[in-house]
Amino acid sequence: MFKINDKTQWDDGSGQVIDELKARFGDHPVHFQRDDLARVQIPQKDLLPVLSWLRGDTPFVQLTHMTAIDWMEEGEFELVYLVTAPTLLTSLMICIRVDREKAQAETVFNLWLHAETYEQEINEMFGIDFPGSPRQGVPFILEAWKDIPPMRRDFDTVEYCARTHPERPGREHQDTRKYVGRKFGEKGFLK
Amino acid sequence: MMELLPKIGWTMLSLFVAINYGFIINGVIRKVMARIQGRFGPPLWQPYIDIGKLLFQRNSVSHGIMFWLGPVFRSVGGIGVFLLIPVVVGEPRLAGFSDTGDLLLVLYFMAFGSLGMALGAGEGGHPHSPIGISRGLSQMTAYELPFVLSLIAVVAHAGSFDINAIIASQQGGVLHWNMFANPFAFVAAFIALLGMNMYAPFNIVGAPTEIPVGPATEYQNTYFSLMMIGRAAFAIAKMVLYINLFLGGASSILDAVIKIFVIYFWTVFVGAVFPRFRTEQSVQFFLRWPTAFGVAGVALTFWVR
Amino acid sequence: MKKFNGTDKPWDLTSLPTTEVPKGSVPHAPTDDQCFLGSENIPEAPKLQEAVATIKNWFRASSLNVLAFGTGCGAIELRPLSTSRFDMSRFGITGAPTPRQSNVFIISGYLSTKTLKRAIRSYEQMPNPKWVVALGSCTINGGMYWDSYNTIKVLDLYMPVDVYISGCMPRPEALLAGFDYLMTDIKKGEANGWHHYLENLNWYRENQKQVINDWDLPEYSW
Repeated sequence: MFKINDKTQWDDGSGQVIDELKARFGDHPVHFQRDDLARVQIPQKDLLPVLSWLRGDTPFVQLTHMTAIDWMEEGEFELVYLVTAPTLLTSLMICIRVDREKAQAETVFNLWLHAETYEQEINEMFGIDFPGSPRQGVPFILEAWKDIPPMRRDFDTVEYCARTHPERPGREHQDTRKYVGRKFGEKGFLK
Repeated sequence: MMELLPKIGWTMLSLFVAINYGFIINGVIRKVMARIQGRFGPPLWQPYIDIGKLLFQRNSVSHGIMFWLGPVFRSVGGIGVFLLIPVVVGEPRLAGFSDTGDLLLVLYFMAFGSLGMALGAGEGGHPHSPIGISRGLSQMTAYELPFVLSLIAVVAHAGSFDINAIIASQQGGVLHWNMFANPFAFVAAFIALLGMNMYAPFNIVGAPTEIPVGPATEYQNTYFSLMMIGRAAFAIAKMVLYINLFLGGASSILDAVIKIFVIYFWTVFVGAVFPRFRTEQSVQFFLRWPTAFGVAGVALTFWVR
Repeated sequence: MKKFNGTDKPWDLTSLPTTEVPKGSVPHAPTDDQCFLGSENIPEAPKLQEAVATIKNWFRASSLNVLAFGTGCGAIELRPLSTSRFDMSRFGITGAPTPRQSNVFIISGYLSTKTLKRAIRSYEQMPNPKWVVALGSCTINGGMYWDSYNTIKVLDLYMPVDVYISGCMPRPEALLAGFDYLMTDIKKGEANGWHHYLENLNWYRENQKQVINDWDLPEYSW
């Protein structure tokens, strides 16, 4: 593939893209996670300018994935957009933070059509609104769901399951930490 | 009236034998195709077990009179075709009622079965049935063209529509068979046979991976077993028609059995190795080379005369 | 090789949070006399009827049509069954794409509530007699998805099961052994899950409506 000489610089086209991103949109810290993956956190108001610049002027033209992370203790959601450059085989994670109470973000449907599906899923599972994206609120995986969006961390899966789905008597539940600790010791099996 | 009774008896017996032969050949086909694919297959008498299981089901759902009439029409088409074709040359007991109708009536009965089935299956209320029906009927209009052209060539060669006369014009040796006397018509008709039997590459009608068995989606139990019986009779009837038209008729029962086996397995072997055509591809296919062969057959007949 | 006996370095387990399911709080736990967990006792028939029933059961067992509806991840084990290596057609088992012409419904693996509604509709459209084969441990006690909000844990409460085949996923050889078990049961006249379903339809409906929130199926999907 391609080589890096140290962890703070990519010596190919993607390195230039990151330099130009920092020059245009502010000197945000970049975390180089792997040979081909880097992560940048930007403020919410810069999302569409950054993504449309990436799609239009740089090799990073493909939206590979879009997901959300629930930072419940900080009261925020984090939206992660994974854009890939097929010609360079590198990916960039663009992350923004969104308020947890009024969870709303701008839709990227006008840049990538398939973002409609990801936004539909995030709306169903996390409760984040994307005004302007079609298929918001259309049921995707869940049917007639009456509870809070299930991927939020304050949704107790075990309690819901015990309440709704009866189980066959005779099955023992084991706490994973106790079981793994008993068998494999303090660090588990990853010694 | 009284002299009709033995005739009816012999006809029923030949029909019974034909339906059983259809089942046995169906079982042999499944076994042979399994062996081609390198596995064992179901036992040879599996079609009988299927019919038995279907008859022993506890309940079935009907959608009205027309729904029940669909398989009835299909079976009537199949049995009717068989009754109008003489099985063995010169054997009046196995001739059925072939002296009452000729080739045109046979053609009518062949189309009648499919159309009746189409009417009945549409009553089922399932959306896949009309899709299968439209595919089947459009394919039928396509393969009828080379088939009828080859029939015109054969009839012009024999000088009459009567099947007995066509058989009589082929007597006198193997080279007098229409297979060798008019090879273009033979090729056109045998490619049309692939479309008629609905084996690959023309099995888009009942393609199980695309639409669930096409027109027969809603049919269960007794209706389905009736359809299977009609299908067996129709298959054998088509084969007997072909051996009368192109292979000089059968001079004995053993001759008939062997010839039917050979023609049927031609379609099976082609079906085992070819993938499926889409509907418009099969229609275009039939309108090209097979029609050309049919036209060449008609031209050959009129040029020779 | 040094053996670890679990007591060399004890963890301090009291400070870690645990999630335990409180016992005794599970609603509608199935009891043996409610579920169809075995053969039904159907009263003995006179000799002639018994002989006819034996013949009928032999026919039904020798020609099974499996509904081609892969409900879960176990359906991946159904595909090798119809290929040349584990040939199932030599037992007379074939696939049928429509419920109207099938006899066996294989619940392969987990069953989400969304699929359960469709599975009930397909099951009720099949003509009697019909059998259900449950594949995998998800149908027995929840399996890998025991704490999922979307999958059911005990299949017996919603559909009558005749044969359970355990594993995750069971190999095609295990599936063939399960089919052999089912065929033996049918020939003995003991696979009567469909009978249990029709007789206790209200109990099954109550369980089904508890997990399916938008119930819009008819009284019985003929």
